[in-house]
Amino acid sequence: MQRMREWLEIRIGLDELIRSQLTEYRVPKNINLFYTLGIVAFVAYLVQSLTGILLLFYYIPDDKDAFQSVQLIMNHVPYGWLFRLIHVVGSNLMVAVVLLHVVSVFFLGSYKKPRELTWVVGALMLLTTLGFCLSGYLLPWSQLSFWATTVVTNIPTAFPVCGELVCRILRGSETVSGVTINRFFALHVAFLPPVLMSLFALHVFLVRRIGISAPPDGSEEEGEWQQFRHEDHPNGPPFYPYFVSKEAFMIVLYFIIMFSIISFAPALFLPPDTSVPADPFSTPEHIRPEWYFLAPYQMLKLIPNRFLGIALQLVLVAVFIFWPLIDKSEKANILKRPRLLALFLGTIVVWIGLTLWGSR
Amino acid sequence: MERRRFIKLLSSLLGLSALGAFLYPLLRFLTPSEASIAAKKVTVAKGDIPAGTTKDLMIGLTPAIILNGRDKGFLAFSKVCTHLGCLVKFHPERQVFICPCHNGIFDLEGNVVSGPPPKPLQKFSVKVEGDKLVIG
Repeated sequence: MQRMREWLEIRIGLDELIRSQLTEYRVPKNINLFYTLGIVAFVAYLVQSLTGILLLFYYIPDDKDAFQSVQLIMNHVPYGWLFRLIHVVGSNLMVAVVLLHVVSVFFLGSYKKPRELTWVVGALMLLTTLGFCLSGYLLPWSQLSFWATTVVTNIPTAFPVCGELVCRILRGSETVSGVTINRFFALHVAFLPPVLMSLFALHVFLVRRIGISAPPDGSEEEGEWQQFRHEDHPNGPPFYPYFVSKEAFMIVLYFIIMFSIISFAPALFLPPDTSVPADPFSTPEHIRPEWYFLAPYQMLKLIPNRFLGIALQLVLVAVFIFWPLIDKSEKANILKRPRLLALFLGTIVVWIGLTLWGSR
Repeated sequence: MERRRFIKLLSSLLGLSALGAFLYPLLRFLTPSEASIAAKKVTVAKGDIPAGTTKDLMIGLTPAIILNGRDKGFLAFSKVCTHLGCLVKFHPERQVFICPCHNGIFDLEGNVVSGPPPKPLQKFSVKVEGDKLVIG
């Protein structure tokens, strides 16, 4: 071990790297558990990649064999059920963790100057994550996945001129078919992973380049970012072991939640329609999207004009992505901004309300 | 024992257990199940293989050949050469199986006559049931 350490020390300056990036890298004094959600999201992505690669060993991306291959994985391949359930439960937890990360960054005002770009890249990562969920949903070729994809790919048709074309490009044919499963499979395993990895690299670069933001404690100075500087916290505790132990705790908690769901509620994210092979001639009665799409789904149902409904959602997505450029106030502490606090709480309440309404 | 050393030991132990709990299912997942590789029985009509001819078929996932030898009756072998896995071909004029990759030669019993194969061809049992052959 010592010899390997010396070998690496000569080649990459290991000691200096550990010192500058871990033991002497200081984090804000009042840093809290919400700051660990980024690394938990990263672990969630890793789990999805690893189990996704394992599922590829048996999965067949073809309308004739996809469903059977998933059944084979679940019922015959040793521990296939485990890796598939980790992938299914993991995808939902991944979205939950990323959403929590977004909410906490918003609440803590960490998107404020000079971190606007970090927010924009993070928002694009959330959209890419949802892209993973959408594209992966069709792959088991069950009744639910088939009809949910039919509904989703039909959404762009509300737009005049280009809507039909976008729908046909997504599907690769007039209806969801074997061509669609090939396209979604390519998106899921070949297109989106490098996109997400690039965004992730940029996100981490920005976080490290600018430095970790301190949680607002009411003492922040306004207008202090006139030129670039790395935000240091010379009086804060070291990244390792102080912050790493917090991260380790949250990662373990993530796995505890995942395996509790797998052990005690394995069908939580696999409703009965996921066990029926896709039948293009019979639409099941209650087609509903996954929980994280229920709010926009319910909103679409409430707005009578489909074009207006979708256009409004696109505007909301744009507002979400570019929020730091819209909210120019330099006050990071949301508790000192009652209107923003009301908007924040109102959005969460409306989101939860629409989600509950959509799930009925 | 020092508290720090105890915690280190405990976390290493827990870490190793977690790793083992992941690696065991992974290994089982990647290893093909016995059922999927086990040869299954195949039935062929006797009349499909006149004397002196052969017929290719799959027994489970193994490419196989049935030979109706003039004085040996029905014989069934795996076509997979025991050298590097190429498929052997029957040569009726020489009454041998020859692997095209490295010229391994097997006789009508599947035994190695010459070349690099280290062991005989895998032999399948053949049962005559009326006008049918049950192989495997």
